[in-house]
Amino acid sequence: MTSVSAYIKQMLTKDWAHNFLNAKTAPLESPSYFRGTPHLTGKECTHCFQCMMICPSPGAIEVMKNDENGGWAPVIHDGHCIRCGLCVEICPELVLEAGRVHAMNVHDETYMQFTFHIQVNPVTCMGCGNCSVACPVNKEIDPSLAAKGTSSSDDVIMRVDKGLMTVLHEDKCTGCKTCEEQCPTGSIMVARVLEPLQLVES
Amino acid sequence: MKKTVDVSIPLGPMHPVWKEPCRLKCETIGERVVKAEMELGYMKKGIERIMKGRPWQEVMFLAERVCGICSVIHNMVFIEAMEKMSDIEVPDRAAYLRVVANELDRIASHLIANFSYCYTIEHETLGMYLLNTRETVMDLLEKLTGARVTCSYMVPGGVRFDLLDEDKTDMVIALDKVESEIRRYMQMFDEGPLIALRSVGVGTLTSEQALEGHAVGPTARASGIEYDVRSNHPTYQKLNFHPIVRTGGDNHARIMIRFDEVLQSVSLIKAAITTLPQGLIRGGGVMKKGSIVYAGEAPRGELTYHIKADSFGRIQEIYIQTPSIMNIEACVHYMIPESYSIADVSATYISADPCIACTER
Amino acid sequence: MTLLQSVKNLVRSRSIHVCYVDTGSCNGCDIEVLACLAPRYDLEQYGIYVHNNPREADVLLVIGGVTPQWEDKLKMIWDKMPEPKAAVAIGNCAISGCVFNRPQSLTNPPVRKHIPVAAEVPGCPPRPTEIISAILSVRDLIFKDWETKR
Repeated sequence: MTSVSAYIKQMLTKDWAHNFLNAKTAPLESPSYFRGTPHLTGKECTHCFQCMMICPSPGAIEVMKNDENGGWAPVIHDGHCIRCGLCVEICPELVLEAGRVHAMNVHDETYMQFTFHIQVNPVTCMGCGNCSVACPVNKEIDPSLAAKGTSSSDDVIMRVDKGLMTVLHEDKCTGCKTCEEQCPTGSIMVARVLEPLQLVES
Repeated sequence: MKKTVDVSIPLGPMHPVWKEPCRLKCETIGERVVKAEMELGYMKKGIERIMKGRPWQEVMFLAERVCGICSVIHNMVFIEAMEKMSDIEVPDRAAYLRVVANELDRIASHLIANFSYCYTIEHETLGMYLLNTRETVMDLLEKLTGARVTCSYMVPGGVRFDLLDEDKTDMVIALDKVESEIRRYMQMFDEGPLIALRSVGVGTLTSEQALEGHAVGPTARASGIEYDVRSNHPTYQKLNFHPIVRTGGDNHARIMIRFDEVLQSVSLIKAAITTLPQGLIRGGGVMKKGSIVYAGEAPRGELTYHIKADSFGRIQEIYIQTPSIMNIEACVHYMIPESYSIADVSATYISADPCIACTER
Repeated sequence: MTLLQSVKNLVRSRSIHVCYVDTGSCNGCDIEVLACLAPRYDLEQYGIYVHNNPREADVLLVIGGVTPQWEDKLKMIWDKMPEPKAAVAIGNCAISGCVFNRPQSLTNPPVRKHIPVAAEVPGCPPRPTEIISAILSVRDLIFKDWETKR
């Protein structure tokens, strides 16, 4: 009997009558702070490929060349993207935006930084030179690497020296992992080290 | 001739009210269940095998998707284990914001567990009230992190986004509303005769049985065992955290202790927001070589990560120990064979809050 | 188009029975489908009922990347459903495998390899508003003129 009287007491309030007569479900739109699939902002892309290297889901983002004016732009596939927002945070040219990820980055002065390290296993490396021929940065510095694996220039990232692959300038690496895919014995590994940082007011 | 077993009833992978596939075989004499057996293996994806050789920015998203209901705590335990292994310091403001996100997810998980129980005992109206309250909490989580489920909010050294001042006042108003609604539901659960018929005295687990069956989390705390991993965490110690215990060990005690923990989480969030210190939200730092065993408190019990990493922070070996398998052991060996009839098996199993996706990653 | 066919089209698009099956997911998409049934984004006001019985269902919602144990059982459930029927894949795991689409994992995505799929809702997990918008835009087209297409 106490539950019946409790129900009747609740029904006689003005709040309950208002909710009962004007019941509506929520509108079918996502709020502005929801982190959906990233969209392009229209700024110019410099094809540094860092968004492709940070993406945790295979086949979600590809940086492709438009045919009309020859400009580059990233293309995101809906069925693969997990909407993490990391590509928005790392882009140095601010080409992508999702929800208010970029606005919060500006408000908090936060950013992310990539460094790349190359490791060669001296036991299994046979000095074939596939990696130094395949590396795109190497080919830009010394064009003779398109024909053979050894190079006389000291500016390349890595070259075959006395039968073993030696790494000379690790800071020029852009982390594309082409050398890792072309090695026949799996002796070279590239580590993509990511560090989330915030600007400290001095 | 002594009759051993009448019939063996399989409660199969596809069940009208269970959300996740698993097979429960009950052997009965008449209507009383004498023995129960569990068969798992329908959701095994091999997540730990995919994680080998990858850096933290890919393993973090795989660890979150081990279970979608308790995804924030998987994120938090993985990142805190990697930080402790590499000696990375977290600023104070980031530590308090991590507690806020963790407790918001805990409220959402407890409300979905109680909704599942109400749906199993065919009291859909009460379940819909609980889901309505849960939507308020998901809105707060979306304002803080940007997503409702699988938020990916924590990174090594801190958190990703800050809490704005206008969102802070919204949060306090919404949490007051959640608290008053939860108190009304607790009164309904205590006084309603339908719920008491199927919960009070059904599926009892005494404290000796809980220790023998290795129960953890709210299932053990409803049987009188006082243990919570959050008491060892430095930020929770600053907020004066003490675990809540109930005696009784039946379905009713397990439901009510989840409501008690929701009220405790609301007061923890309010304390963290009002005493939020100023400062940075990211401390920076790189991973180093090492190995560690680290534990945290998921909404279902104790969650442990065993990690071994190489010199650039890539994972070499990893093993995740989840709480649901231990609760399912205690449920199947001690709670179900004491049921009065086969009709109570489904409700008893759901009241132990199983999460099969966590159990088989 | 005869009068009988237009009556059938109207009835089949305004009263749909749904059964959902979880073939090895993380439960995130499952929770968002349950949130669609909550009073905030009410799914039943559009005439869609979730009964979880394959024998009386029109639409099958498939969630998750297909694990080895579910490959034959998914086909069995699809064959149990009476015609006219359609399948909808919800979440990234059912479309392409999401983060589990690596050579070392045990899943066998996508779902359209095993049963024919009529519509897909992308997202990890998709928001309840996106699920309902997708269903509302597709409910007129799934069973339209079913007898003439046979």
